[in-house]
Amino acid sequence: MSTSGPIIERSILIFTIWAVLGFFGLGCFLEGLARDSWSISALGVFGIVLAFVAHIVINGVFATDFTRGETVLGIGSYGLLGLVFIAGAVGGGMTMTDYYSGLTLFGVLAAGFLAYLFTRHGLRGAFSRFHVKTASAQEGS
Amino acid sequence: MVWLPLYGLFYAAVTLYWARIAARENGNFETFFSAGHSLAPWISALVLAGASLSGWAVLDGAAEIGEGGFGVPALLQAGIALALPGVFFFKRLWLLGQRLRLSSQGELLRSYYGSEFLVAFSALVGVIFAVAFAGMQLAALSRLVEGLTGGQVSAPVAATLLAVVLFGYVVIGGMRAVGYLGAVQAVLAAAVLAGFAGFALIGLGSFGALNAGLSALAADPGQAGKFMVAGVIQFTAGVGREAAAGHEGTAVASLTIAFALMGFQASPLAAKVILSTRSPSGVAAGQTWVMAGAFGGLIALCMASLGAAAMINPALGVAGLLTNLSPWFAAWLFIGLLAGVQLMAGLALLTAGEAVVRHLYKPWFHGSLSRRGTVTLTRIVIGILALISVLMQALTPVTLSVLGALALPLAFQLWTPLLGMTWMRWITRPAAVTGVGFGIAGVLLTEPFGHAVLSFLGLDLPWGRAPWTIHSAAWGMAANIAVTLLVSVFTQRRGYGEEAQEARRSLHGTLRTSPRARALKSTAWAVVLAWLFLAVGPGLIFGNAAFVGPEGKWLLGMPSLWGWSLLFWALGLGVVWFLSYKMEMASPLAIDIPAYEPRPRLRRDQTAAERERLRALVVTLAVGFALIVLTALSFGG
Repeated sequence: MSTSGPIIERSILIFTIWAVLGFFGLGCFLEGLARDSWSISALGVFGIVLAFVAHIVINGVFATDFTRGETVLGIGSYGLLGLVFIAGAVGGGMTMTDYYSGLTLFGVLAAGFLAYLFTRHGLRGAFSRFHVKTASAQEGS
Repeated sequence: MVWLPLYGLFYAAVTLYWARIAARENGNFETFFSAGHSLAPWISALVLAGASLSGWAVLDGAAEIGEGGFGVPALLQAGIALALPGVFFFKRLWLLGQRLRLSSQGELLRSYYGSEFLVAFSALVGVIFAVAFAGMQLAALSRLVEGLTGGQVSAPVAATLLAVVLFGYVVIGGMRAVGYLGAVQAVLAAAVLAGFAGFALIGLGSFGALNAGLSALAADPGQAGKFMVAGVIQFTAGVGREAAAGHEGTAVASLTIAFALMGFQASPLAAKVILSTRSPSGVAAGQTWVMAGAFGGLIALCMASLGAAAMINPALGVAGLLTNLSPWFAAWLFIGLLAGVQLMAGLALLTAGEAVVRHLYKPWFHGSLSRRGTVTLTRIVIGILALISVLMQALTPVTLSVLGALALPLAFQLWTPLLGMTWMRWITRPAAVTGVGFGIAGVLLTEPFGHAVLSFLGLDLPWGRAPWTIHSAAWGMAANIAVTLLVSVFTQRRGYGEEAQEARRSLHGTLRTSPRARALKSTAWAVVLAWLFLAVGPGLIFGNAAFVGPEGKWLLGMPSLWGWSLLFWALGLGVVWFLSYKMEMASPLAIDIPAYEPRPRLRRDQTAAERERLRALVVTLAVGFALIVLTALSFGG
């Protein structure tokens, strides 16, 4: 990562947002699961979504995109938590509130992610972010 | 409990991440001490506000309200009380630092006054902040860790762990790490203060329930005093000698506690942040909207709510909340609290380490020390200071708190030399030096530390702590100002050094106030004095009953003094804004400040003189120690 001034200032802001909103959201989500309350979990999801929105706003202010590390961390965490959720659902130890809370979290994040890609890159551009051409296809074109 | 270690590890990883980034930017040692004067103004604003208020607000401020009630409303005005000196000093200090290319308070004092005494005193204040003031807060955190882990992690072990994390990021990244990480820590600490208040209110049911509980307390004659200022002043002999009627919280006690709080902005810690900033363009916004607005509001509302909740139910204090909340919330709140305390502690350690090595050791004893060697030695000194703090937390907690109580009032004594540099050009070198000397004496004679030392030597003073309910900061300042004025009168003909003259010329030439600001000068004096009188001074007596109805009912639904404090916090925010922008005391400045080029001087070899000084120091220490032991053996109890 480049360590020039504005990039560092952006990173400070990103850390700040996630330290406050992210961890507060995580806490509320877990509290909702512990108390079997969907509304508290939804508050946590709202906090996490708010952190994402603030992250995107900061990206806009500093004219940058998500860094490679952030993307890996975000998608990795999403995948890992998704795996835990699926394992929990298959195991059958979840209450209906836990189930709906998890679906709310993963659904909102997935929808938000797609909305972000479509609004930032357009439908075709969003697809191109994932469409990796093979070497032979590149030579043929 | 898995969450606390998990969050703790994450926090430690984040600190090391920022330390690594800072070290790379520093080139290891080149800009270790002042981040190359490149900290963004918004980062400095957050660091200053966070360092001065966040840890204190949750650990001390809320606890004092929880125990003593609203009898000292100055606590609720801490945001404004700290913003006012920032408005007076910071822009001018930055200009002086930039013109003379200096990066710390010690260098400024040496350059302007040419006084080694003031430099040594500034270093001493930094060391007291680093070892004792920060140590007290870290000790409180260690006790919380012990409670949270059910005794599995003892307080000394927790203190060691916290000190290792702190030491790690400060010695690796220097001022840049303190700044970068400090911005994150300040916002997290502020959020956690709001979080504590929110959880306390949830515990009670609502804000209405909080005030209903307070109302029930106020109806009890034994507790009613907690909702009132105990008169304008009480001429008692001081705590430990003669108890005040009701409680110690008189209006004058409030005023003088506000003075003590103002000491932080005159400390070498605040100067370090300001002189490491790349531009003064953020001073006005930082002092107005961050310090007085955001942090001041959090203190007036959230810290007060947290303290008030603890008055009703002690289990809703900081320790109780951390124990009773869900582990993930408790861990988050604790990490936020830790962040606030470590922000101040890290800044204090760096400032103290630099002061001891760069401002005392190097110029007096080892002038040929290279820059790399200076940084290495500073790192070692920072480690030693952190170690001393940890040892004192574990072995001598009473001494630690007695020493820690000196930090703010002693720092407040630096107001007069700073005023001399920035505003009152008639304060001469002998006046500043003598004034600070008398100020120190005034503080020591009215603080437990001075009493303990004199008692050890066989002398018992007839007064206790804070006689006449006046804080030691004000006793010291009374002596300080009186002597400064007198000596200034008699030493006006003494000249100033070359750099001091340049500093005076530079400030005079750069800061020409507009005709509009000059026309508002008397208005500014009036509003500041009126605010001080009513918000933290004798006028607080009106606050006792200002919002109380004919049948003793609270008209605002909250204690009258709390409502009064909130009103004057809002008005104080207006005062700070007015001074910063309309009076142009901290307004942004968009001019290039060229470096001052002193006349070339022939440097003489100082090796022999340095060796002689070192010998004299050792002999003085040995003789002094022997004399103290002899006196204590002869007269001490």
